[in-house]
Amino acid sequence: MTTSDWHPHARGNENPALGRDPFAEEVSIDPYLERLATLRQSEAPELRKQVESDSRPRPDWAQRTVKKPPAARSRRARTPTVGEVVIPEPSGWVDRWLGEDVRRRLETLGYMVEGETPYDRFGFSPDVARNAFPWFQALYRHYFRVRSEGHEHLPAEGAAVIAGNHAGLLPFDAAMGVLDILQHTDPPRLARAIVDRWAGSLPWINIFYARVGQVVGTRENFADLLDDEQLVMVFPEGMDGIRKTITQRYRLQHFHVGFVEQALRAQVPIIPVAFVGSDDQTPILYNVKPLAKRLGLPVAPITPTFPWLGPLGLLPYPVAYKIVYGEPLNFHQRFGPESANDSRLVRYLANQVRRSVQLLLDRNRS
Amino acid sequence: MKHVLVTHADEPLGRRIIKRLFYDANVTSIFALGDGPAPHTFDRFLSGATPRLSYARVDLAKHRPMNDLFHSTRVRDAEIDTAIFVPRHGAPASPSDPLVAGLSERTAEARLLLQQCLESQTICNLVALGSAFVYRLPPGNANRLHEDSELDLDPDVSPEIRSWIDCDMIFHGEVHNDRLRVALLRLPTVVASGGYVYLNPFMGERAGWRVRSLGYDPICALVSDKDVARATQAAVHSTVSGIYNVAGIEVVPLSVLAGWTGRHSVSLPGVLLSALDRAARLLGREAVVPSLERLRYGFTLDTRRAEQELGFHPAHRVGLARAGDGTLRLETAGI
Repeated sequence: MTTSDWHPHARGNENPALGRDPFAEEVSIDPYLERLATLRQSEAPELRKQVESDSRPRPDWAQRTVKKPPAARSRRARTPTVGEVVIPEPSGWVDRWLGEDVRRRLETLGYMVEGETPYDRFGFSPDVARNAFPWFQALYRHYFRVRSEGHEHLPAEGAAVIAGNHAGLLPFDAAMGVLDILQHTDPPRLARAIVDRWAGSLPWINIFYARVGQVVGTRENFADLLDDEQLVMVFPEGMDGIRKTITQRYRLQHFHVGFVEQALRAQVPIIPVAFVGSDDQTPILYNVKPLAKRLGLPVAPITPTFPWLGPLGLLPYPVAYKIVYGEPLNFHQRFGPESANDSRLVRYLANQVRRSVQLLLDRNRS
Repeated sequence: MKHVLVTHADEPLGRRIIKRLFYDANVTSIFALGDGPAPHTFDRFLSGATPRLSYARVDLAKHRPMNDLFHSTRVRDAEIDTAIFVPRHGAPASPSDPLVAGLSERTAEARLLLQQCLESQTICNLVALGSAFVYRLPPGNANRLHEDSELDLDPDVSPEIRSWIDCDMIFHGEVHNDRLRVALLRLPTVVASGGYVYLNPFMGERAGWRVRSLGYDPICALVSDKDVARATQAAVHSTVSGIYNVAGIEVVPLSVLAGWTGRHSVSLPGVLLSALDRAARLLGREAVVPSLERLRYGFTLDTRRAEQELGFHPAHRVGLARAGDGTLRLETAGI
């Protein structure tokens, strides 16, 4: 893949949200690496000396790449394909409404925990997920009217990181993404969405998130999910994404880089995904930052309906969602696990993912 | 062939380990230490002309009795080469007892045993059972923790957790000792058939109501007492030193664990729990909850290191089963 693919101008985009790609003239990312090497050796010897003489102990996660632990012995059974699953006759109108295909897919959730345990090691409960599914399926089909494309880029097996844009106060984009992946992969795959640590501290919400398969984003959790060959959905904008105001719609915020580090360490591809519609579901007119800081919240929004309608004002508008999966970015084919310790390279690759997601957004907004 | 010394052998975990080692053909003799009289289950092990098991009562937290014991002819003749530190389960019998040299009883025991092992001419292996509740828990219903995860060194941590951390650090400091091989096993909640729970700061041996934090239901990693004995046996026979997480396959939320073990739990808001804790401290009573953070955030353990280096794989499942009297209760069964 060349950098011209990343460049918004290359596709005739009139209003590139991320500006000009400084490496657009180059035909591949190799010249960047050459420049990086040159910079290290000649342009910034002082900086290099400073970095090399830094004897401070590195965090243990940085050392882990030196000796990557072998993959965990998977205790999960193989997930059967949709055709292999045997389901009972529909017992009620909910079963009939869900349809046979979806019910078969829900049945496979039980294979996604280890052995016969009712919970997996991150607190995922197939029973709770099955009970919650119809509610979210109703949102998926009728409220957000989700359309999606690019499913061929989702791997049928093996680990991958799915990186997308994040917006809309409440994380319905993640929920719709998880449902969409479950319904468009065979054998069905449950994407494990990474949630902010703040969400893990919220009463009741932390329980619900864990039971439906979401995982708090610590490095250990992320690495363990990839070791276990799971699909990990991440929103590298983090909280900056959900507190975007209406003037920043569909403009990606600064990307955190941890997901690239983890993908390089685990040697797995990164699949960019664009959620078109989530930026419109709850347009934030103004973020009252002092109030948010005082209340310990990530955002104190003023929207056309909040706080005027009370908590109901936080509910998303019934916008149509379009989910587009991009081509996998196989950085791991070029860079080994030790590259995860190169902060400049990781930052560069994170920006490449950001450009890719922005490109998908720009192409599909209309 | 091993000559093994086991502390707190009169407590449930100690008894389980003694039983496991007694039937191990590679263990020649076992020297068991305990606070109380020898348990009746040891009667058959202690019988015979030259029993493989010896039992001695000693206060493990006191320097003089421990010193006397380790310098006694009986222990010297036993030529012990491996010591197993089984921690006391729960609080001491009388919590108002004065601390030993400013340390909790558990910490004092760990320190004295280590000191005796270092001074001993024959002991070259030390296997210590610790708690996995020593880790700092970031917010989250379940956090995957490995051996290098951060310990909770918060000075405000409760005395119960602090004693576990102190024990952990005492043994951790000798992991690279050339003469004494130290293997520290960090255990999550240990459960046994019949609904017994060990080494969990929130579910001690006493019956009664347990408090939980409203709106939180942390995931608890479980391990069967039989698997703890197997892991200890594996550590005794291994040649590696280090820290190892040991856990079973099952994980369950705290509310489910309370239900399985027949303990009643009540959820209270965090604000109320903090206020009750403060009031208890002012009145000089025991804290209502050992750690509010651990009532909120759960953890599971990455056990790969134990699998690779000790060769330990959990072999027992934990679940509900119907007992002879018709009641459903927690049972452990071999896979």
